[in-house]
Amino acid sequence: MAGVWVLAENRDLTIELLNIGRDLADKVSARLTAFLPGDRDRGQEYIDCGADEVLVLPALNPEQTVDAYIPVIVDEGRREQPDIFLLSGTLRGRELAARIAARLDTGLCSQCTALNIDEKTGLLVMERLIFGGAGIQKVVCQTRPQMATIAPRTFEPARRQNREGKIRELPASPESAVKILERKPKDRAAGSITEAKVIICVGRGIEKQEDLALVNKLAAATGGEIGCTRPIAEELHWMPEDTCIGLSGKQVKPELYIGVGISGQIQHITGIRDAKVICAVNNDDQAPIFDAADYGIVGNLYEVLPELTRQLEKITNK
Amino acid sequence: MLNIVTCFKWVIDEAYIKVGASRELDLEWADYKLSDYDRNAIEEAMRIADIEGGTVTAVTVGSSDATKGIKDALSRGPEKAIFINDPAFTDLEPSQTASLLAEVIASRLQYDLIICGEGSSDLYAQQVGPRLAELLDIPCIAFVSKLDIKERQVIAERKMEDGIEVVTAPLPALVTVLPDINSPRIPGLKDTLGAAKKSVISIGKEELTGMAKPHLETTAIEAATMERHCIKFNPDAEGIKQFVDALLKEGVMG
Repeated sequence: MAGVWVLAENRDLTIELLNIGRDLADKVSARLTAFLPGDRDRGQEYIDCGADEVLVLPALNPEQTVDAYIPVIVDEGRREQPDIFLLSGTLRGRELAARIAARLDTGLCSQCTALNIDEKTGLLVMERLIFGGAGIQKVVCQTRPQMATIAPRTFEPARRQNREGKIRELPASPESAVKILERKPKDRAAGSITEAKVIICVGRGIEKQEDLALVNKLAAATGGEIGCTRPIAEELHWMPEDTCIGLSGKQVKPELYIGVGISGQIQHITGIRDAKVICAVNNDDQAPIFDAADYGIVGNLYEVLPELTRQLEKITNK
Repeated sequence: MLNIVTCFKWVIDEAYIKVGASRELDLEWADYKLSDYDRNAIEEAMRIADIEGGTVTAVTVGSSDATKGIKDALSRGPEKAIFINDPAFTDLEPSQTASLLAEVIASRLQYDLIICGEGSSDLYAQQVGPRLAELLDIPCIAFVSKLDIKERQVIAERKMEDGIEVVTAPLPALVTVLPDINSPRIPGLKDTLGAAKKSVISIGKEELTGMAKPHLETTAIEAATMERHCIKFNPDAEGIKQFVDALLKEGVMG
């Protein structure tokens, strides 16, 4: 019997994949299988969230990277012949997916934005962005499994209900050639722009690093986090790399995005395309960001920002 | 002495892509460029070769349209280039590109370190590097933001969502690099003239065992349009008030 497989590196991302995975599995009358790295106790939760079977990947020793799981997953894949295999498109997930696809000699659609089953052919129709986000490519995969990576937060998490399923432990992984020397976890105290409801984003229109103070005030008035375009982080080093928004940086989904002094190159716009409301402040009324924005203010940001901040403070202090 | 191989792709410059009347992409006026992240890959290959000593070979797969790309890549420092060149080698999917690269690299090159960009500017599938490592059966470290070689071991920092991971693997190995790993040079006139004199080995389809069959089939490509209001306000107090009112109406302010 055909199967749909899901694999993600943590619980929250697995629960998201279980939601879309269950939907697809029902459409093709298949069983849904979730991988569970390490922690067997979570098995029942994954079953309650839609899995028919949970495959536990034994915990790795601390110096092993997740790529140690590849041989075990590939062996299981050859044995079980799943029809569809979805992986969460975190950085580790994307590397893992490409390497598993190479070993299983099948196709992989990277960072899918939509997944559907074609009713006539039963094939998985996958959509993704190409040309820096200027185009949408629709692809189907003629070999099995049909593999895809899916960016985190593309789908809602699955809801938990009482279900029954099997939990099975897979063999331990052989050592991989890549070993971890050191982990430097991210400072959790810092707000994460991928979770922010409001993002104020700065681009090259800001003339000096000191002028970020204006942006800080606007962020404070809106309760938002500050992001930036690639040049601000990479060339000017005014902001940390991990606040960089765009196709090769963070892809964000805030309720409100305000771009300040941003021209709007396609790679950046791709990073914000799922924002609910997009706003822009720029003195060039021909800047491409205005084509991607709901609301724009055409003017000098050094005059607009203080007034905008003042008006917003009035509202939020009420 | 290290034998370093760096892979690159000559791609359509997305800045020139226009959207046609019925949402199709108009590529007729598009210019080409060396894929952005591959510039970082070539730069990193040159940096490591300068420190460790060694040679850098740049490899690409494409049709003769990519000839300009070879010159561009060589103007950035590599000693020689290999051009896996055939009219059929356009619009390949990542698995096919990786298998062509793997066959040529395995059969014709000595390699200690292979450096690829994290993805291409056009498809950005981020698969060719990791797939190539698998086909060559060597360790793979993707998304590297800092790279060193010590006693024939790669020491690499990878920037993951949850923090930085410092990893090591024995050579030969493949790494894919993030754009923040370095600032690629801008070749000058002398570099461009010098590139014309460097050796380019062209390998055609008939010299290879054959191209792997595609797995994926593209059923449509259309423009990614965004439905946005596109309303502009004046930069005076009244205009800003209207802007703020619009945000309140959307319910995105608190």
